[in-house]
Amino acid sequence: MSGTGVSLTSDGRGCRVMAASQLLDEREDEIENEGYHMMVTIEGRTHLQTTPARPYQDVPSDHNDDKPDVNESRNGFRKTLRKNQDYVRISIPKANIIQATTVSRLPAEWLKTCMAFIWAAFNLVLTTVMITVVHERVPDQSISPPLPDKFFDYVARVEWAFSVTEVNGMILVALWFIQWLFLKHRAIVGRRFFFLQGMLYMYRMITMYITTLPVPSTHMVCASKLYGDSQGKIQRVMKLMSGGGLSITGSHLMCGDFLYSGHTVMLTLTFLFIQEYSPRTLLWRFYHVICWLLSAVGVVCILAAHEHYTVDVVVAYFITSRLFYWYHTMANNQTLRASPRNYLNRTWWNFAFNFLEKNVKTTVPCTFSWPVSIPSVCFKNPCRSYTKVQSTRDE
Amino acid sequence: MASADHQGRKDPTEISRTDGAPSTPTSCPVHSHATEGPKRNGLRNGLVGHRDYVKISVPEGKGNKLPSEWWKTIIALVYAVLNLVLTTVMITVVHERVPPKESSPPLPDKFFDYVDRVQWAFTVTEVNGMVLVSIWAIQWLFHRYRAIVGRRYLFLLGTLYMYRCITMYVTTLPVPGMHMVCAPKLYGDSDAKLQRVLQLLSGGGLSINGSHLLCGDFLYSGHTVILTLTYLFIKEYSPCSFWWYHLVCWLMAAVGVVCILVAHEHYTVDVLVAYFITTRLFYWYHTMANLQNLKCSPNNYLTHTWWNPVFNFFERNVLTQVPCSFCWPMTWPPACLKNPCKKYSMVQSGREE
Repeated sequence: MSGTGVSLTSDGRGCRVMAASQLLDEREDEIENEGYHMMVTIEGRTHLQTTPARPYQDVPSDHNDDKPDVNESRNGFRKTLRKNQDYVRISIPKANIIQATTVSRLPAEWLKTCMAFIWAAFNLVLTTVMITVVHERVPDQSISPPLPDKFFDYVARVEWAFSVTEVNGMILVALWFIQWLFLKHRAIVGRRFFFLQGMLYMYRMITMYITTLPVPSTHMVCASKLYGDSQGKIQRVMKLMSGGGLSITGSHLMCGDFLYSGHTVMLTLTFLFIQEYSPRTLLWRFYHVICWLLSAVGVVCILAAHEHYTVDVVVAYFITSRLFYWYHTMANNQTLRASPRNYLNRTWWNFAFNFLEKNVKTTVPCTFSWPVSIPSVCFKNPCRSYTKVQSTRDE
Repeated sequence: MASADHQGRKDPTEISRTDGAPSTPTSCPVHSHATEGPKRNGLRNGLVGHRDYVKISVPEGKGNKLPSEWWKTIIALVYAVLNLVLTTVMITVVHERVPPKESSPPLPDKFFDYVDRVQWAFTVTEVNGMVLVSIWAIQWLFHRYRAIVGRRYLFLLGTLYMYRCITMYVTTLPVPGMHMVCAPKLYGDSDAKLQRVLQLLSGGGLSINGSHLLCGDFLYSGHTVILTLTYLFIKEYSPCSFWWYHLVCWLMAAVGVVCILVAHEHYTVDVLVAYFITTRLFYWYHTMANLQNLKCSPNNYLTHTWWNPVFNFFERNVLTQVPCSFCWPMTWPPACLKNPCKKYSMVQSGREE
């Protein structure tokens, strides 16, 4: 039979606290649960301690009847163990149970993913509306010239640079989409991506709205202001959404959405997700480097094109990376969630996090699977299924 | 049965490592070999005989889990002072680049649209700030572990001011209100610039004492940083039961921050970004510092910051959450107070006779 004992030792002191005896009493339990037990011993206390928590002290010791040949050694062992007083029994389900439970520890819960998607879509729409609103308030270039920016002082504008940014962004998003499609736990990962994206766009909406920066460069052509024309504004919103907010599609002719940079958010967030949910082997590292280059070049090109102020890009990078790490630390460290000293839950969105990640009990492993599972009936032993039919046909 | 197999196996202590145990010896429980006594041998053999086992070391150090290490606090102080000086220099530099009010009017700001300027509001902000800082200084002085707490405060302050240097420098916002009086630009005059730096430093960067006549340091708001950070520290390192105290400090901080906007001294985005960065940095740092098991976790993304090595340096030997306990700041030579009767029983009894 299998079993694992764990003894905790410290740096060489006094006596130990044992629970190995439990292993010997656990046969029945093992057979029932098909698992194994960890016995925990703490070594290193200078004196024997008795603790009140001794849950299995009273388990009768007559379960080891199965193998009389080891009975004697067990008894002696148990006596040795019983001399020590404290013990803790930790039940650990066996491997196959672990497998089974792993599946349930990472439930798909597509409903939550849909909700996260709606959240992201809602924020994207709201951002688009906000851009349209803010556009009306952008000070005219003649009144408010571009603000002094250190990067612009050193690097003159490169006309085609923004196309590079947007192409890189589209490539990264496409790569991430393909990668996501092949992830086994795509429901959970997708949920996280949508939630973070929604949050970042919401924050962006706030910063865009409260203070309106002037255009960063005189080259920018801003569409004319519509003032009271609601129809025209709605049309602009639709156009911007249909173009994905990209200038390359000709949909983004509005100004004012400078602090902070949405392009930086997408480039950074997509890269972080690509890196996070892919293997760490050498070949994949190569892939990470390429994606990182795409992302970095894209971000630098935003500045080279004078499409955003430097502070827009810096703040966007900061917020995106911090939010990503914050969320994933909370999600991947189960101990954090229960800890009272976890300051990470002092955010307003903690309730949303708990809702989304409540049933995710472990780190999402990096496993891939086919996006569409072909019904196994088609492949499973076709010969056997149709032997009768086939054999009659063959005749 | 496995027992026979195990008897001949290698020393059980060699199979003591658990998977995924990180290798940094300083911050994670170290899997050490316990000294083998005769009693243990029997037990250990028994264990080996019956089971595979995994040894997890639990450091039960009676050693000091909260060493003062004042020298680290001094380093943090130097770091903070350096960043404050750098910020001051940066303000002086940026001042030269602020576009004049006439050519670059104040940017549209939603709060300013709704709330007109109140002249005395900024004084309220600065007074609140000074009161909060004084309260915090007193609280810190009486804290038992003031070395550790002070180190944290200084490090966070320095880092926030450093970030502020960067955001101030890269893009220069115009003045938020036409009321602002900016000192004339000095262009090439380095001496005068140096004088301005010193004046700003000596005045603590406050307008109330007339030291802050320079413009351009808008994104993000240093006043908000101080108010927020001081309040967070006051709340963190005082007993939870002092809710009234926390409430009063919170009110002072909140009123101070709102008054910055009411006085049209900063854009709304400056204040918001400052609040966001300050709170996130504070919570980030303290989560890492207070949760020892995080330090060993392979899933700890909180270490993906540039200042992680600095954090490790400062918090390496702090093995537990800093308890909220206070003591007199000035200790006479401790021997005099600690069990005076026991230590000097002979002398004292001799004296008394």
